[in-house]
Amino acid sequence: MAINLVKGQKIDLTKGRSSLSGIMVGLGWDPVATKKTGGFLSGLLSGGGGADVDCDASVLLLDENGKLTAKENLIYFGNKKSKDGSVVHSGDNLTGEGEGDDETINIDLKRISPSVHRLVFVVNIYNAKQKKQDFGMIENAFIRLVDNQSNEELVHYNLTDNYAGQMSLITGELYRQGAEWKFSAIGEGASEPDIGSIANKYS
Amino acid sequence: MAINLSKGQKVDLTKSNPGLSKVIVGLGWDTNKYDGGQDFDLDSSVFLLNTEGKTASDADFIFYNNTTGAAGAVEHTGDNKTGEGEGDDEQVNVDLSAIPAAIEKATFAITIHDAESRGQNFGQVSNSYVRIVNGDTNEELIRYDLGEDFSIETAVVVGELYRHGGEWKFNAIGSGYQGGLESLVKDFGLNS
Repeated sequence: MAINLVKGQKIDLTKGRSSLSGIMVGLGWDPVATKKTGGFLSGLLSGGGGADVDCDASVLLLDENGKLTAKENLIYFGNKKSKDGSVVHSGDNLTGEGEGDDETINIDLKRISPSVHRLVFVVNIYNAKQKKQDFGMIENAFIRLVDNQSNEELVHYNLTDNYAGQMSLITGELYRQGAEWKFSAIGEGASEPDIGSIANKYS
Repeated sequence: MAINLSKGQKVDLTKSNPGLSKVIVGLGWDTNKYDGGQDFDLDSSVFLLNTEGKTASDADFIFYNNTTGAAGAVEHTGDNKTGEGEGDDEQVNVDLSAIPAAIEKATFAITIHDAESRGQNFGQVSNSYVRIVNGDTNEELIRYDLGEDFSIETAVVVGELYRHGGEWKFNAIGSGYQGGLESLVKDFGLNS
């Protein structure tokens, strides 16, 4: 059974679960007041009854000082695979079927380069500034971690704050502590309007 | 050179530092690395406890609204509302030799002001530490970095100075609690 996290909560993923190696990180969101008929992504992407807000998920691979040291350590729709092959973004425009993930990222914990200590998962609104959009137009944002082998959902975190005025959401972090990997439920909004400026914040 | 403690470790303070009386207890933390809106206001406080582990009166609870206690032997130097910058965020001056005999222990805590209404907790706080500095020489005697064990707690008891025989020792506690300052105040015997 998945552990439902609350904001700020940290859990140990690998302790007592040393076999855990492949995890799928699923990120989801709904546009506010979308009509649910026709599937929620049709509302999201075509504007069929809901706000046409295009959210993108990305991951920053940070070093032990919390810094993004190279451009290739930013994994997003334009750079879907990390150099070591451990982090793979499955791409923009997923179907959103099944359990409701809008975008997913696969992670092979055992292959993550030793220089990477922290993986920060961000969702931001594409072209937010130009379209004058913010996370006040999005609800039900979540991040969940699934064991790739067993398909078991390990943790689920629903972001419940009011993110009006924010154009980016830091959803959570996967980080090393000693030999273990832990997950921290962050759920903080950020005013950075695009993924480039988020990356700059960590440089 | 300072001794770096780990959780649960107890060290002698006065025995290994003869003549030590005035110490500064420095408490530090970093918060809110994501600009998620509200400021964090962390507060440090001291509970002066008797042999039963309780505060005998309101006067033995030292915090931003009651900054001195133990007949002047314990003095909180004041509130810091943002936790910005390096170094100690709040400090408490303690004159060990002047602490009244009825007080067995001084327990140091850090709590988050208005944590519940602001939706904040210690999962969003990092690099918390407590250190003891010799007030006469400014030498750092011991330091305890709390690590990042905290999660949804809103109060952390960081450590305690306590009498042992004729000496003062320090115990690195690092235990988190939910319920903020209010629950600690109740636990230590005051009805706030």
